[in-house]
Amino acid sequence: MGTEKPPFLGFGLGLRPQHYSEILSGSPNVDWFEVISENYMVAGGQPLRMLDQICERYPTVMHGVSLSIASTSPLDLEYLARLKALAARVKPAWISDHLCWTGVHGVNLHDLLPVPYTKEALDHVVDRVSQVQDILGQRLTLENVSSYVSFGQSEMTEWEFVSEVANRADCWLLFDVNNVYVSAFNHGFSSDDFLNGVPRDRVVQFHVAGHSHEESHIVDTHDHPVCPEVWDLYRAAVAHFGPVSTMIERDDNIPPLAELVEELDHARGIARTVLGAPRLEAAE
Amino acid sequence: MTGLKELQEKFQRGILAGDDNILLEIKDTAKEERKTLFGVYRYAYVARLAEILAEDYEGLHGYVGDANFAKLAKTYIAAHPSDRRSVRDFGRHVPKFLSESDLFPGHPELAEIASLEKALADAFDGLDAEPLGLAMLGEIAPQAWPRLVFTPHPTVLRLAFSTNADAIWSAVREETAPPKATVLPERQIILVWRQDVTARFRPLDPEEAMMWDEAVQGTRFGVLCEMVATFAGEDGAELRAASYLKNWIEMGMLAGYRVD
Repeated sequence: MGTEKPPFLGFGLGLRPQHYSEILSGSPNVDWFEVISENYMVAGGQPLRMLDQICERYPTVMHGVSLSIASTSPLDLEYLARLKALAARVKPAWISDHLCWTGVHGVNLHDLLPVPYTKEALDHVVDRVSQVQDILGQRLTLENVSSYVSFGQSEMTEWEFVSEVANRADCWLLFDVNNVYVSAFNHGFSSDDFLNGVPRDRVVQFHVAGHSHEESHIVDTHDHPVCPEVWDLYRAAVAHFGPVSTMIERDDNIPPLAELVEELDHARGIARTVLGAPRLEAAE
Repeated sequence: MTGLKELQEKFQRGILAGDDNILLEIKDTAKEERKTLFGVYRYAYVARLAEILAEDYEGLHGYVGDANFAKLAKTYIAAHPSDRRSVRDFGRHVPKFLSESDLFPGHPELAEIASLEKALADAFDGLDAEPLGLAMLGEIAPQAWPRLVFTPHPTVLRLAFSTNADAIWSAVREETAPPKATVLPERQIILVWRQDVTARFRPLDPEEAMMWDEAVQGTRFGVLCEMVATFAGEDGAELRAASYLKNWIEMGMLAGYRVD
C-alpha cells in the first residue's frame, strides 16, 4: 500500500453534470476535479463518457457518500468491489468518504450521520478503515462531517476522535472547513481547537462550501456561496496546514461554472496571501 | 451505556418511524432543544428523497401537480425505505407502486408515465455498445440475407401501454396542454433506448412491433419478411420489412447481426 503523501493538486471543483460541456469546450481555470463515486457506478452512457474525457485532461479524486464506514452493519463488499473497479478506471489521486454512517439493516438514509465519540466507536471505525484499505489496496481519506446533534455518551472531542482514527488506521484526512465551522457553531466548540487538534501531516484535502443559517443552528446545505466566516477559517487552515489541495463544494443551486471558478480564485488569493506565491508555486 | 449498534438502530428508527427514544441519547445545546436538532435529520431524509423523486419523475410531477406529487412522494417514501447505495435507484419501484396503489383511482396513465420515465433513465446510463451501422450491411452477401439474425442494442426496453401515457408525457415535457388520458383499445408497444448519449422512445405500429418482437427473439430476416407478409399482405412485404430494419439501424436500436 502506498504510504507517500498524495501530491498537492492545487485548486479544484466538484464535477457536476451541468458543467460537462463548459469544462470540455473551454479551459476553465480549475486544476483538478472531484467526482462523486456513486454517480459513476453505472453501466455506460454519457456519465462514464464524460468522466473518461475529464480524466484524460485533469487530475481527479474520488469522493463517496455511502461507504458508511462507521455503520455497525457488515461492510458492503459489492459496493467496495464497484468502488475499486471505478478507481481502476479513474486512477484518482486519492479516494475519500465521510467519517459517519448512513444506515443499518440494509437501509440507506442518504445522510452523513454522526458517530458518538466513544472508545467503542473508535475501535469499530479503525478496524473498518483497515479492512477497506486492505480491499482497495490504498489508503482511504476520511472527511469530518457537519453534525446537528451530540451524544451524551461521547468520551472525547470530535477532533480527538478524528485524530485517533487517522493515526491508528493510518489513513488521510479531508478537512472540511465548512463542516468544522458548522459543527463548532452547533455544538459550541472552538473551530481553532479542532484545527489545532488534528494531525497536520494527515490532511490531504480541504473542502470549502456554503451553508444555511437557522439562527439556533446551521445546516450544511452546500447551496450557497462560501460565507466570510468560512473564508476566515480557510485562511487559518491554510496558515496551519500549508499548501493543501482545495475544493469548492456545491451540490444544490448550482451556479454557472464561471461563478464557481471565481470562488475558487478567491481561495487561490487567500492561499497566495497566506503562504506567499513562491511557496504555493513550489508546492504545485 | 447504549452500545453503538443499538444507538444506530434507535437513530434510524427515530428518522424512519418518528420514534423519540433516540432523544434520550442526545444533548440539548445552549441554543436549541434536542428534538429540534434531531428534527434536522428527520426533515432532511424525507426532503432529500422527495427531491430525488421529483427529479426522476419530472414529467409525472408536471402532470399531476405539486400537491398530488407531494402525496405520492410522502406515501412512497414511507412504504419504501431506501435500500441502495445510489440515490438514483430509490424511485425504481414507483411505476409498480402506482399501478398497485389506490392513491389515484381511475388513472392508469400515471403508472405508465412513471414507467416511461424510469425506462428513459435506465437507457440513459445503460450498457454501452457500438450500434450497427448501415455500411456494415453493405458487406453482407445477398444470399446470406435470409439467414440474418439481429441483436438489439443493450439499452432497448419494451413497454406495452394501455393508455396514451407517452403522448401525455411528451406534451408535459414540451409544456403544451396534455391530451385527455384515454384507455386504448389495444396495447401500444413503445421502445425506449439510447442513441449516442440521448435516451429516446418511439411507439411502434402493430406490424413493426410484431417484427421487432420476433427479431429480438432470434428469428431470421427471411422468416421476418414472411411474417410481415402474413401480417398485412404480401404486397411490398419485403420492402416494409427492409424499411423497418433500416429505421432501427438509423436510430441506433441494433447492436449487431450474425448469419444463422
